[in-house]
Amino acid sequence: MKTSADCVIIGGGVIGTAIAYYLAKRGLTDCVILESSYLASGATGRCGGGIRQQWSTEANTKLAIESVRAFAGLEEELGRDIEFLQGGYLVLAYTDEDVEQFEKNVALQRGLGLAVEKLTPGEINERVVPELNTEGVRMATYCADDASANPFLTTQAYADAARRLGVTIELFTPVTRVLTDRGRISGVETSRGTIEAPVVVNAAGSHSVLLARSAGVEIPVTPYRREILVTEPLERFFHPMIISFSFGIYFRQVKHGAVIGGFGSPDEPAGFNETSSLDFLTTMSWKLERLMPRLATVKIVRQWAGLYDMTPDAQPILGELDELPGFFQASGFSGHGFMIAPKVAMLLAKTIVGEEPDLDIDRLNARRFAGGSITQDRSVV
Amino acid sequence: MRIREHPILTYEKGREVEFEFDGKSISGHEGETIAAALHAAGVRVLRKSIRHARPRGFFCAIGRCSSCLMTVDGVPNVMTCVTPLREGMRVETQIGKGEIAEAGAAVPGWDTADAEPADTPADLGSVPLAIVGAGPAGLSAAIYAGRLGIESIVIDENDVPGGQLIKQTHMFFGSLDHYARVRGIDIGTELCRELESCPARLLTGTTALGLYGDGTPAKTLSLLRKGRHHRLRADAVVLATGASENVLAFDNCDLPGVYGAGAVQTLMNVDGVAPGDSVLMVGAGNIGLIVSYQLVQAGVRVAAVIDALPEVGGYHVHAAKIRRLGIPILTSHTILRADGADRVESATIARVDEDWKPVAGTEETLHVDTICLAVGLTPNCELASMAGCEEAYVPELGGRVVRHGADLETTLPGVFIAGDASGIEEASTAMLEGRLAGVAAAARLVPGLDPDRVAKLREQAVAGLRDLRAGPFGRAARVGKEKMRELVGSREGAESGPQA
Repeated sequence: MKTSADCVIIGGGVIGTAIAYYLAKRGLTDCVILESSYLASGATGRCGGGIRQQWSTEANTKLAIESVRAFAGLEEELGRDIEFLQGGYLVLAYTDEDVEQFEKNVALQRGLGLAVEKLTPGEINERVVPELNTEGVRMATYCADDASANPFLTTQAYADAARRLGVTIELFTPVTRVLTDRGRISGVETSRGTIEAPVVVNAAGSHSVLLARSAGVEIPVTPYRREILVTEPLERFFHPMIISFSFGIYFRQVKHGAVIGGFGSPDEPAGFNETSSLDFLTTMSWKLERLMPRLATVKIVRQWAGLYDMTPDAQPILGELDELPGFFQASGFSGHGFMIAPKVAMLLAKTIVGEEPDLDIDRLNARRFAGGSITQDRSVV
Repeated sequence: MRIREHPILTYEKGREVEFEFDGKSISGHEGETIAAALHAAGVRVLRKSIRHARPRGFFCAIGRCSSCLMTVDGVPNVMTCVTPLREGMRVETQIGKGEIAEAGAAVPGWDTADAEPADTPADLGSVPLAIVGAGPAGLSAAIYAGRLGIESIVIDENDVPGGQLIKQTHMFFGSLDHYARVRGIDIGTELCRELESCPARLLTGTTALGLYGDGTPAKTLSLLRKGRHHRLRADAVVLATGASENVLAFDNCDLPGVYGAGAVQTLMNVDGVAPGDSVLMVGAGNIGLIVSYQLVQAGVRVAAVIDALPEVGGYHVHAAKIRRLGIPILTSHTILRADGADRVESATIARVDEDWKPVAGTEETLHVDTICLAVGLTPNCELASMAGCEEAYVPELGGRVVRHGADLETTLPGVFIAGDASGIEEASTAMLEGRLAGVAAAARLVPGLDPDRVAKLREQAVAGLRDLRAGPFGRAARVGKEKMRELVGSREGAESGPQA
């Protein structure tokens, strides 16, 4: 293993591999990715794979639109199928509060050029998902350009492309400590030795908080378990990702044919628990069957859990820490890291090499939490 | 293709019924598996694979490998190797993934007609000890925990308890205490009889879907029983989930007619259906040799037994029986390919050199319609893994296995593992491991429980295991279990705190 590098990235998920790729494209090829297990073994490989543009704040919506644009060109750029599909997102409203918020969202999103529609329950069945039980549904917003992709293939595609440009990836190599010297970053200590580096990128999901702490700095990232399940594969019978914030669900049919979906329990305590629960299986089955009665005969083949790395405003922490020069954060994605990974990684890579980013990511620097005023996006599932 | 006469077995069959296969009416016996009925009727291709539309038959015949998925009564992906046949069933070759069933469709095999009343609570409450698997290990665990007064529920997905014993027509070796000179099929019956005098409830036809640690001392099992989901809490759990058949990679190894040895045993010894007319047996370990002999008993020709190893791996007495029948046992031989339009019509074998490479010019093509793979088993670790038990890679025990201590307790306190699930051995050792796990679970459940009796029963089981693992044939298990002890020991040394 190398003992020094221009840049060390901690975390072999989609964020870490994408940052490595965009850095290497900019000429920073002396870069090592350190992954404690296998590629996409953390939150990336456990996520639902949705790519949504319908957000409630201007900044998030802009970033999401740019991300879909980036995803759309990714298969050609990286030379690999990542199962990118623009099957749309159907967002269901059940309450007055939902309807009110969705009206505001649609106005904002349309103002930014997003082709989003408002559908009545009848229109949902006629035009988008004939099978959906719309009982209790007040309305829905639908953006046909919203998308999904396979998180494993996307990560592998970035990793392969990065390797081709000279990046080294060390698997099963946990970082035990982030090293500093006279107030700036100096490298990392791993289970297999030390690597000196002037730049360290913390892309370790929920574990990023522990790594930051090992260097003597705190970032407000808290892990929360989220559970998910997958069914047997079937011929495609619906296209969009279907989600509801108030009913609490998201699910889609992946290219392979399986239905994959989950929900977040509001009572989930903070912590690194990644085990599965029977309550989730039972409740999720009930929810799926209620929304799509034909799923009643479909067999669930697997359930698992992953960690949301939540921040106080449910937005990521991006960029260099003021108190520790050379230490760049790329975590706290709060459950929507995969969908914005290409654009965020590109922006962060530009920042690291000193280029001017084409979208403001300074607003997402950790220093925003020092000011006291934060904007919460209401569209987190 | 049905076996009409058998020197040991008589087959109890349900009434003859008509069912539909791809629009044609054919007959089978009610209650036998759909796959067995189709096989008896000469049907080999059950589905076409998703990506390349290759013909697929069944492989494991115990509901583990998904090779037999068909569309039944409009419901896709039905495991026909474990789903009982009913009159008038509409069975279709499944092409690719299958279409989702219409709303309101009934899942075949999830019979509600003979189910318990609808008001039966889906919550089965709690029990001191839950045992998953009613094979030799699971039944023994229930009996020995029961002898110490511990109440248990034994869960098995099959309708008939006994696990793989129900298809073993050969007599066991070992000492009389370990059922020597008794046929496997009779041992299963004997264990069930012993169980009757114990405070144990047998829940057959019930699949354990999941084991949840849930962070408390009590564990929760989720069960599928007659189409209904149940939950059962237990203070301790013994996992006696057995093993799955290994596959071997060679050209066209997915052709219908390439079957696992367990599947061949199930077909001929449980269903009374001959797997084919002539068989190539791959693997000269005990299973390969015993199943070859059973095939001959069922009137099937065995063309040859091959093994890549330079020596026969199974007992010499089994090998001698095969040789006396005139069946060649070709050591240092491997299978190169299977051929046939949509089912096995021939197999090509070749000699291998010291580096396991096929020797050019030694290829030989055998005209067989069945290739039986007896190339080892892999422990079924899914439930343990799901609950968070740590695993380790120990090739001598069958690959990835659940870490366990001398008393078979896993790294999750109160969860024990026994039999093939803890490492591949045989039914005799599985019974002793079951006894040990049953006694250890009882001791854990009731601290201070009859210490003399517990110590005596434990020592008997340990001594029995030591005897059975002695000698050259027990080497792999000995080495494997020794490695396991070192692994657990090093872990205990590295991390303080109570461990198995």
